[in-house]
Amino acid sequence: MRIGIDIGGTHTDGVLIDGTRLVAAAKSPTDRDNLLESINRVLHAILAGQDPVRVRTLNLSTTLSTNAIVTGRIDPVGMLVVGGPGIAASNYRIGEHFHLIYGSLDHLGTETSALDEQDLEEAIAACRDRGVKCFGVATKFSPRNPAHENRIHEALADQADFVSLGHLVSGQLNFGRRIHTVYYNSAVWRTFRSFAGALSASLKGFDLQAEVNILKADGGTMPLARALDAPVQSIFSGPAASVMGILATHSASEDLLMLDIGGTTSDIALFAAGDPLLEREGIAIEGRPTLVRAIHVESIGIGGDSLIHFENDAVKTGPQRLGPCMASGGSEPTLMDALNVLGLAAFGEVQRSREGIAALAEGHGSTAERLAQEAVDAAVNAIAAKIEALVRMVNAKPVYTIHEILEDREIRPNKLIVIGGPAAVFKSLLAARLGMEVIVPPLHGVANAIGAALTRTTSYLALTANTSRGQLSVPSLGIFRKVQRGFGLEDAIGEAKNLLKADLEQAGIDIPTEDIQITQADTFNMVEGSYTSGKNIRVVAQVRPAVVARLDNAADPVSF
Amino acid sequence: MLKAQTSLGVIFFPAFDWAISPTHPEREERLLYTQDQFREEGLFDVEGITEHRPLFATDLDIMRAHFCFPSVQAICTESHRISAGGAIQAARLVLEGETRRAFALVRPPGHHAMKVVHGNRGFCNINIEAVMVEWIREHYGRKRIAIVDTDCHHGDGTQDIYWHDPDVLFISLHQDGRTLYPGSGFPYENGGPRALGKTINIPLPPRTSDEGYLYALENVVLPILADFKPDLVINSAGQDNHYSDPITNMQFSAQGYARLNELLKPDIAVLEGGYSIKGALPYVNLGICLAMAGCDYSAVREPDYNAAALREEPETMEYIKQSCGPLLDGYLHPAMGDFEKQGEFFVRERKIYYDTDGILEKQREELKDCDQCRGVRLIKSGSSHLLTCLGVELPIDCCPACEREGYDAFQRKGNEFLVTQLLDQKNKQYRYRPKE
Repeated sequence: MRIGIDIGGTHTDGVLIDGTRLVAAAKSPTDRDNLLESINRVLHAILAGQDPVRVRTLNLSTTLSTNAIVTGRIDPVGMLVVGGPGIAASNYRIGEHFHLIYGSLDHLGTETSALDEQDLEEAIAACRDRGVKCFGVATKFSPRNPAHENRIHEALADQADFVSLGHLVSGQLNFGRRIHTVYYNSAVWRTFRSFAGALSASLKGFDLQAEVNILKADGGTMPLARALDAPVQSIFSGPAASVMGILATHSASEDLLMLDIGGTTSDIALFAAGDPLLEREGIAIEGRPTLVRAIHVESIGIGGDSLIHFENDAVKTGPQRLGPCMASGGSEPTLMDALNVLGLAAFGEVQRSREGIAALAEGHGSTAERLAQEAVDAAVNAIAAKIEALVRMVNAKPVYTIHEILEDREIRPNKLIVIGGPAAVFKSLLAARLGMEVIVPPLHGVANAIGAALTRTTSYLALTANTSRGQLSVPSLGIFRKVQRGFGLEDAIGEAKNLLKADLEQAGIDIPTEDIQITQADTFNMVEGSYTSGKNIRVVAQVRPAVVARLDNAADPVSF
Repeated sequence: MLKAQTSLGVIFFPAFDWAISPTHPEREERLLYTQDQFREEGLFDVEGITEHRPLFATDLDIMRAHFCFPSVQAICTESHRISAGGAIQAARLVLEGETRRAFALVRPPGHHAMKVVHGNRGFCNINIEAVMVEWIREHYGRKRIAIVDTDCHHGDGTQDIYWHDPDVLFISLHQDGRTLYPGSGFPYENGGPRALGKTINIPLPPRTSDEGYLYALENVVLPILADFKPDLVINSAGQDNHYSDPITNMQFSAQGYARLNELLKPDIAVLEGGYSIKGALPYVNLGICLAMAGCDYSAVREPDYNAAALREEPETMEYIKQSCGPLLDGYLHPAMGDFEKQGEFFVRERKIYYDTDGILEKQREELKDCDQCRGVRLIKSGSSHLLTCLGVELPIDCCPACEREGYDAFQRKGNEFLVTQLLDQKNKQYRYRPKE
């Protein structure tokens, strides 16, 4: 059996799933100051009458790291940054303890200026004086050569409780994102570690012996032990959990859109033939882009509680929210009230909706019905425009080969899955506006927890080989070693798969080799003068987000 | 976080699956390290700098700029259409106002491709700037356009295409043609009889560095642009003036390139040559992008950059200063060239060699000396590999008499020409007529 728990901003949801059967579901308000208590409450509910020993897996999606960052309850981080020529590293200044150390590497990883030991010593001393114990280390082009980062790590020695090294974050190039990612990782490390400790203790109290995984923003999981070193990967896992929840009830072998309608905002995600669309490089937090891989979710400020108002005599719905709909005791009419007026919904006190909409209409020489219709149209049009823009963006994404320009299949979704409170109400409205099939799966408002329960581990690595220099590197695994001159693209693909598989095995996860996807495999003839000096090989391998099972009783009633 | 002062769209298309041959400078690897540099610098995370994919140039797009003999398909592969499509995308972004400026960082290049095309010259098949310029004029109407060619090699193809067009000012700065391919680009090449002074050539001595290059820019190019008042400035942006380029002899730097673009303020830049793929391109391209976006580029530097060692000799600098005065004067008071007249026609007979493909073209151009318009143009062209073909060009201001004469030539029965192609800018008619 598997447990999925999603700690959201307002609710904590939990489900217990046996094979393909949803056994129990629970919902409880989130206590932001005591997440563990929220977890305990849903565990208590879903495990009632069950044998906890049968639970093999517990997957947890938590806002812990996200909240710590956005509320500023984080550790001070000593940032030790080596930039060099190009866009100045000072543009990425972050935190109170940002230190630039002289030194530089070029795009091939060649050291072009040595690391300045005196700069380093002074920076470390400054951090020591301020009592900083967590560090983030990032150098430009460190995935090509980690020597400077490793030297800084060594120099920190036992002064640090925790150090995030840039090249281990991702094999991907992007210096600014690397800086932000190591910063946030170190900033939330202590908070996450103490939570993980308390969680493990608490689970013992439930007699749970399950392996514990933490959800990531890419919709997959990582083992708790790995999360301790990479807590930043757990940010923004909530929307990803919902997307995976939809996948757990519906096959996504075709192009597919998903819409999660909430109170204030709605989230849109896209699947291209089974694969969720990911952020190109990573998700941003506090306006700072990172290298944290994430499902691309477009948010739009339209939900059931979106305020209906006039702007230059035109009816607008959202993005403001002043409170709940009038049918739930709010003071201003919202989208939900408009749906009530049109008879599309019968939510709460329908009469209050009518009064509120009528009063607003009267002030603008309109009728309640007309205003309600215009408000609903505005909402549907805004959602449709966002969906169309998303599809356009995906089809316009940059490509780098002639083959892709000529052969790229156009992503053309003609099915939309809608979840969330007013989902059913929007079914026919969206179908008419978008001209596509709209499906509203019965998920009892716990799609997120179902997604958490059923999603599997994801992983990713980037391998680069330069046979002219005899180098092979897989930065995220800390691998930098010699390679033979005859090493070719097929060897590199095989090596990438083996390394990815072996790394997951080390974490106790067995993934069949055929589930490892190669998303990039390029080889370039390197020429010095007029002869071929070697090959430059780039391979990216991943285990993509997927669910381990599909629910077959999602439609059955479950007691909360 | 960095923010662009001027929004910039970059069409980055490295054509990772295309090469002239495996060890040719124009090969898959060419923009690989530029991409690495862009990614590591997070160029597309800079607010206001966006990345776009190229469009695809159709037969019609190419037929507006060229006489491709015997056909567009015989000359153009997909790679050329996408490269030209990258330039078109750049123009579209700017003219639709999606971005203030655009840089088509695409390959293969195009500035050696002339009006008539039989094959590949100097790594170029079709002239991607010209295809773009004609696309602009087709969709946005007649415009005054300045093309400033900053490739180290003389932009002889672009010069040829706009030789007779007074709406397009073509300025080429390049290493002196006596020392480098294609061996042309001298100040006396200053435009056809109807576009005198609208072609400007600025040959620079070998080993010119930042100071000399920028001196010529500030003292010749910028004053001419200020006078010409173009609607659009296009930088035909080769990167082979760089001190590390393997096939040229100049000493320009990434800082110099960035400053050049800061001063020139091109609306659109299109990549041309530049083959120091590890030592120059990553830095030069970064410098150009930052300069075009109005960002600080002061820290963009090659690892082995040494300004003092690269500086030009005082004599070189003196030579450049001496030549700038007459060059500016050559624009303001262009000397009448030595044009051959036969009856009512200006006539040029030329042999053009296509170095990459080993083709020798023989060409006779006849331009009607018309006092009502720029005159209808007939180009008869055959090669070592192809029977003679005919190109008929009607200018945008074509008078009824020239129009009749052009259509008569295009429709004339007989077997004299293998194919005949019509390029009618006035009525926007572009088509081929095969031999009967």
